[in-house]
Amino acid sequence: MTDGMTTPLLRLRNIGKTYGFTTVLTGIDLDLAVGETIALLGENGAGKSTLSKIITGVVQPDHDGEMQIAGVAVAFHAPRDALAKGIALIPQELAYVPAMSVADNIMLNRWQSTAGFLTAGRVKAAALEAAQKVGIDLGDLSRPMTRLRLAERQLVEIVKAITRDARIIVLDEPTAALSQDESRRLFAIVERLNRDGVGIIYVSHRMDEVYDFSHRVVVLRNGRKVADLVTQETTHAQLIVHMLGHDRAPRVGAAPPSTAADAPIAVQVDNWNRSGLPSLAGVSFSLAPDEVLGIYGLRGSGADLVAEGFGGVRPDISGAMTLFGARTDIPRNPIAARRLGIAHVPAERKREGLVLKRSIQENLVMQVMKSLSRFGILYSRRERNLAADLAKRFDVRFSALDQAVGQLSGGNQQKILLASRVATKPRFLVLHEPTRGVDVGARGQIHTFLRGIARGGCPTLVVTSDIEEAVDLCDRLIVVREGRIVGELTGTDKTQQSAATLAAGDKH
Amino acid sequence: MTDTPTSATAPAGKPEIDAAIRRQQLTRILLQVFGIGTFYLVVLVFFAFASPYFFTYSNATNILTNVAVIGIVAMGQSLAVISGGFDLSVAGTLPLGAVVYAVLINAGVPIPVAMLVVVLAGSAVGLINGLIITKIKINPLIVTLGTMSIAGGVAYTVSNGVTLPFANYDAGILAEHFMPGVAWYVLLFVGIAIATAALLRFSIFGRMIYAVGGNAEASRLAGIRVDLVTIGVYLFCGALAAVAGIVVASQLLAGSATVGSDAALSSIAAVVLGGASLSGGVGGIAGTLIGVLILGTVANGMALLQVPAFYQQIATGLILLMGVGFARLREVLGRETT
Repeated sequence: MTDGMTTPLLRLRNIGKTYGFTTVLTGIDLDLAVGETIALLGENGAGKSTLSKIITGVVQPDHDGEMQIAGVAVAFHAPRDALAKGIALIPQELAYVPAMSVADNIMLNRWQSTAGFLTAGRVKAAALEAAQKVGIDLGDLSRPMTRLRLAERQLVEIVKAITRDARIIVLDEPTAALSQDESRRLFAIVERLNRDGVGIIYVSHRMDEVYDFSHRVVVLRNGRKVADLVTQETTHAQLIVHMLGHDRAPRVGAAPPSTAADAPIAVQVDNWNRSGLPSLAGVSFSLAPDEVLGIYGLRGSGADLVAEGFGGVRPDISGAMTLFGARTDIPRNPIAARRLGIAHVPAERKREGLVLKRSIQENLVMQVMKSLSRFGILYSRRERNLAADLAKRFDVRFSALDQAVGQLSGGNQQKILLASRVATKPRFLVLHEPTRGVDVGARGQIHTFLRGIARGGCPTLVVTSDIEEAVDLCDRLIVVREGRIVGELTGTDKTQQSAATLAAGDKH
Repeated sequence: MTDTPTSATAPAGKPEIDAAIRRQQLTRILLQVFGIGTFYLVVLVFFAFASPYFFTYSNATNILTNVAVIGIVAMGQSLAVISGGFDLSVAGTLPLGAVVYAVLINAGVPIPVAMLVVVLAGSAVGLINGLIITKIKINPLIVTLGTMSIAGGVAYTVSNGVTLPFANYDAGILAEHFMPGVAWYVLLFVGIAIATAALLRFSIFGRMIYAVGGNAEASRLAGIRVDLVTIGVYLFCGALAAVAGIVVASQLLAGSATVGSDAALSSIAAVVLGGASLSGGVGGIAGTLIGVLILGTVANGMALLQVPAFYQQIATGLILLMGVGFARLREVLGRETT
């Protein structure tokens, strides 16, 4: 895209990064033009986040590379150096001061003051001006940050970057937790920033959204740049091959056929209700013994409650269920859920699922220690064998079983979490956002595992806010809106379009 | 249950990945060698050159003798820190144990029974800690600060603020030597250390302590009884503090409420020196042992060099900061990234 006439906004030549003996990035060349958006694609571990950290001064590259901004060589020692040159990072995990107002956060540490005293009115006016400049409406700027939705908090970060005269903004997987509508709004803002000449580097591992807004796609694999393409001239399939490499590109072939309509019922949910927000109202459904059933809903729709109800973390839901012919209450705590033979994979693997500081092995066997022990003493060999088996079966990539889980990529972590639950040999598997923040390769694998588990006779319920996953993975899809089931989609009706329409409540 | 097509994507077999794995393993080994053990070695070498008396059998037994009490407390403290909390109340339970032991002995209670009662009393303090922390959900710092004060106060009340000499010197059995220069309580300390290490390493309970300390919410969702594990940890910690109290009383042949006031901070210092993280989930007994030995060796070496006591206090603080700084350096160097 860069023609020789203009100097690119950002130019990288031969950028690399080595930690100790491990090379995570090598020989990266990249040009970002004024007003251009580059999508940086790659699996987790491909080097995307290292590259974005180098560009924003969080990490220092090896010494033989070169970095230029508007033709001038630069070297950053800290994020503040990058900020001073107009480069802002909007990280995946946003950093803000929760108790402060939106305006105060936007103007963080650049507050207008008179004789050392803050002038709230001027702070707010400055924040508002910046927001309007990029056409972002944040509502009342004196609200505390905590009152904002996640999508709005991201916009606050963008406005903050604009107030600091950012010419280059690096967005690190901004849509990972956004709904489709919110994502679309974000893309519109990106376009507007481009028109104002801001260069955007957009880190992502979701291919579908690349087409919505980027001018170019740069694909990293194993720390190298393997493709630098004009977005409009590439296909989905090409990108997958670039990301995964030829040997690992996915097999074509849809899910095995769904179960017949008159299949027996393994799990029956009867009239689940919860008052308060989010609410549930008369939710009833059933699963066949070898089925992957999906529940899809936007955030706040109540879909989450169903997964949490099975996990035993929502004792405030009323209702009952029938598991393999036995009628039972909703479990009151996680231990009760396990006793019923329900395995629950929680939504946030880092916070609710894994002990990141502990080893792969310890995490894998966490729920089955009793069966590996006698009088409370663990049999080391049995434990090790089981962990090795599980890791192999779920294709966890690691260097040693005693490696801390926190060091692994999101995809590997998610596989470990799934494996630790499957290790309990559950009768019923409930997954909540099973591939959130997981790269394409691992996502495909996890979907394959889940289908296999279901076909093997363990009914599998997937509660997801990822519409692509809901449609592709599940045999049958239930859509939830405002605590009620608003539709059930199977066969050819099961499309992203119809699911999105039902979930949003549009009339057509 | 599943039939997964994974073999084509397994990591093994690609030479460059194998090489990367080997490099990572090498890095880890180097970092471990370059750890707190090396730091202790430096300390040893320094004092060996500084004082001719340092590297002698009698001085080695001296060091062991001096660290036994804090060592026993630090074993319990390790569990508390790994579980994500800590226990200041050991500084109250220890003198309480010493005083109660003396009172029971002087009342004519048989020695084994007296020991058992003291250990139960310490466990009771731990149980109370655990219950308040888990059921009322008050921060361990506040809870154990409170119970430290209460237990210490009870010790003063029971002893009326005076030192209670043993009426029966047989009660000091633990302080008698079983080999030249080595008292039974040193052996007891070693035994407790081995047992605690085994508990952490091989038992389900130990594994649960790491899990709870590393991520209490994930542990709860995985069906671990987080409250029970926490209560167990503080119970164990309290019991060991009481054992340490018996040892101190045996050394003095008397019970006094004034002993062990440094037990809380010294034991936490030893545990942290040993590589445990105050945010929980990380640490081990081998590390704590070295931490205890470093503190004891430095105190011993400085005494040999006739450094005044207040300088020793400064040195202990510096050692703690250096040791932890060292660990932090390792963490930064050893961080694997994506």
